[in-house]
Parts: sequence; structure tokens; C-alpha cells
Amino acid sequence: MQPPDTESRRRRLHRASPRLKLLVTLLFIIPTALLPRHPDLLYLIPAGILILVWPFTRMPLSHALRRLWVVEVFILGIALLALVSPEAVPIFFATLFKSNLCVFAMLLLTWTTPFQDILQELRRWRFPSVMLTTLALMYRYLPVLREESRRMSRARASRTFRRRRLAAWQDLSLIIGQLFVRSADRAERIYLAMCARGWK
Amino acid sequence: MSTAVEVRQLSYRYPQNGRLALDELSFSVAEDECIGVLGPNGAGKSTLLLHLNGLLPEHAPAAPNLWIAGEPILSRNLDLIRQRVGLLFQDPDDQLISATVFEDVAFGPRQLGVEGAILKSLVAHCLAQVGLSGFEERQPHRLSHGEKRRVCLAGVLACKPSVLVLDEPTSDLDPRGRREFKALLQSLPGAKIIATHDLELVVDLCSRVLVLDDGKLVAEGPTVKLLSNEPLMLAHGLEKPHSLLHRHPHGPIAGEPENGGTDI
Repeated sequence: MQPPDTESRRRRLHRASPRLKLLVTLLFIIPTALLPRHPDLLYLIPAGILILVWPFTRMPLSHALRRLWVVEVFILGIALLALVSPEAVPIFFATLFKSNLCVFAMLLLTWTTPFQDILQELRRWRFPSVMLTTLALMYRYLPVLREESRRMSRARASRTFRRRRLAAWQDLSLIIGQLFVRSADRAERIYLAMCARGWK
Repeated sequence: MSTAVEVRQLSYRYPQNGRLALDELSFSVAEDECIGVLGPNGAGKSTLLLHLNGLLPEHAPAAPNLWIAGEPILSRNLDLIRQRVGLLFQDPDDQLISATVFEDVAFGPRQLGVEGAILKSLVAHCLAQVGLSGFEERQPHRLSHGEKRRVCLAGVLACKPSVLVLDEPTSDLDPRGRREFKALLQSLPGAKIIATHDLELVVDLCSRVLVLDDGKLVAEGPTVKLLSNEPLMLAHGLEKPHSLLHRHPHGPIAGEPENGGTDI
């Protein structure tokens, strides 16, 4: 069990104003992104801040790793682009470090702040409503898509009698294709349901 | 009794494949009347329901063939029509678009300009009406199928419609969920149009039934009378409901012959 003072600090962090947390996160991300292109000791400052704040949020390591793992593909994709520049290796590592630090900061924010509070705050900051609606719908429908792909994978697996790597990849591509088609159909139905309740 | 819904010579052809989905349908629904729309898959039931809310046709015709409480459905008054006609979709996940139950029930009223304390009390009232008080901060994807369906209904009721249009309201519900949802529908005032394959629900809730097949209105009449007509039911992909299969020990109920119905 955590000592009571740590527990109350954690609660305080979760209860703190979403505006403050969003602002602090942005104030962390912007200087981190502007760090020099060659990794040096300055990189330890944002890393140190994150290490200090992390225990108060009590975000489990597994939660962070699972999400970082998903984002890592995109981070690596961007970092690999740096390899075509003249100073390839330092920029590659700089991109890798900076991106991971920024994503980790965002993970701490989303762990301590409900997503709808973040959206509401962004709405107050007059972010474009199309972007916010897209984000809100994405957040709402990701679990539905996950469940749908899980059902399709299970149905596919129930009729798969011999394990072959190539066939598994083919199945995956079929499932992704189906998911796109079904998502398009669902998007149409969602739009109709929104119109039925007065959306313009 | 005044008319809640009036449909005259309604036809609709799908623009994608040119198939005739609705073929000169005409019927009316009185205030506080509950009618069932039956028919096999692809009969045009869902297409008809989308018309009642003004979602189809894509461009409202110059001469209207649908009236809601005397108001014709035209492109200029679609906002009013969509407020008067509450449409409950078959898949609750299509209808639940927000991150919390509160936001979702508030979606319709916000379009109508309701905000602040009035909005909060309206949402609380509608959630209480569907038996989900205190669910405001819950996330839709964490609800059971029955709860999702109730939240959808609360979202529809929040717009204070005079006509409720329900597409397969009991599909995918377990027996308890189905029973509770049926009781909930029974408690709601106003005209109701229910498209369903759940014939027992129709027997319990609807006083009148329309049978569609291939876009045509093939039969119309009192529920028990029409659903007892087994040849008619079988001819249109339906069947006589279980509750009507068992003869009453004292013979047929007065005024309700065992076979009948108006074949159109």
C-alpha cells in the first residue's frame, strides 16, 4: 500500500485542472522538440522531469510500454527518414529520443486526465471543431473496431486448420480490408443517426 | 383522434442499383397508436423508417407524400421533422457517438440550443425514464447491449419527439433485456412505429400491423387478426407467433377470428 501522502498527491494530480495539465504538457513538449539535433546532456533534463513526475501518476510500466510499442512503429518510420540526411546517425537518435519523451509526456497526461476533458479544453482553446469531432469519434469507435476485428479473427481462426505464415498474412490483409469496408458502411450509418438527431 | 403520421403513395428507388425499394405505400398512424411493420429481410422496412425521419430520399421531393402531425416533410422543415420523429437505429453502436453517456443523450438537445442546467436536468430526466439514473459519466463502450439500447432511447427521448420510430428494438437482447425494454416502450406515450422480426413483441405492443414484402404493402390490419392468418404469414416469410398458436380453452376471443386479416 502507498503511504497516504503519495496517495493524496496522486489523487491531487488526477483532480488537477485539465487546463493546467494540458498547458504543462505543451510547455514540456515544445522545448523538448526544440532540443539540439545532436543528442547531448541537455536531453537528460526532460527525461529527469518525466522520471520525477511518473511515480506521482502511478501509471503502470506495462501500460506505458504497450502504448509506446504501438507508437514506436511510427516513430521509427520518421526517424528512418533522417537517415537520408548528411548527419544521419545523430539526427536519427535525436528524433528517436525526442519523440519518445514527448509521447511519454502525453501518456502521463492521458493517464491522469479523461480524454473528454482534454477535448473540452481544446474546444475552449478554439481548436477546429472538425478536428475535435474526428478525435472524439475516433476515441469512441476504436473499441468497436477492435472488437469487430477480434470477432473476424476468431471466425477466421475457427476455419483455419493448418498454420502457415503466408496464409496468416493473407488472412490479416483480408481482415484489414473487410474492416475498411465495414467501417465505411458504419460511418454512413453513424452519419444518418447523427442527422436523425438534428446534426447539420 | 388526429393523425400522427400520414403516408400517401410513397415510392423510392435506390439510386445505386435502380431497385424499387418502396412501391406506392399508403397508410396512416393515429396519435398514441403503436403499429408494427413486418416483412422478410429486404422488404423495405428500414428504408421506410428512414423516410419517416426525412433521411431519405436524399433530396426531398417537390410534392410531399409524408406528413408528420399534418406537417409535410420538405427540405425546408427537416429540422422540425427530425425533432418530432425520434428514430432508434438497429445497432446501438451506430447511434452512440460520444465518449460519455451524458454527452450522448445531450447530443440532440444541444442541436436544439438547450444548454446549461436545463440540459443537465433534461439528461437526468431522460436517463431516469429509461432506468439508467446515475449513468451520466459512464463510457458507452463499457455498457451492456441492453444498456446501450436504453441510452440510445434516452438520447431520442431527449429531443421530445411526438412519434417514435424503432428499427429492430429487441434484436440481440437477452430475454430479461427484451422484457425490460418492452415494458419501457409500453410506458412511453405517443405514436410508435416498430419494424421488427420479434412477432411476440408485436402481439404485446402493437394494435395494428403492416406487412411489407418486396417494397409493397401486402397486408394491413389488427395485430391478432393478421398474425393469426398463417397462410398469409408464411407467404411473406413470417410465421404465426407462438402465443397465438395455442388455442384458448374457451375458443377464439370474441371479435378476433382465428384466420383473417386484410389482404391488400
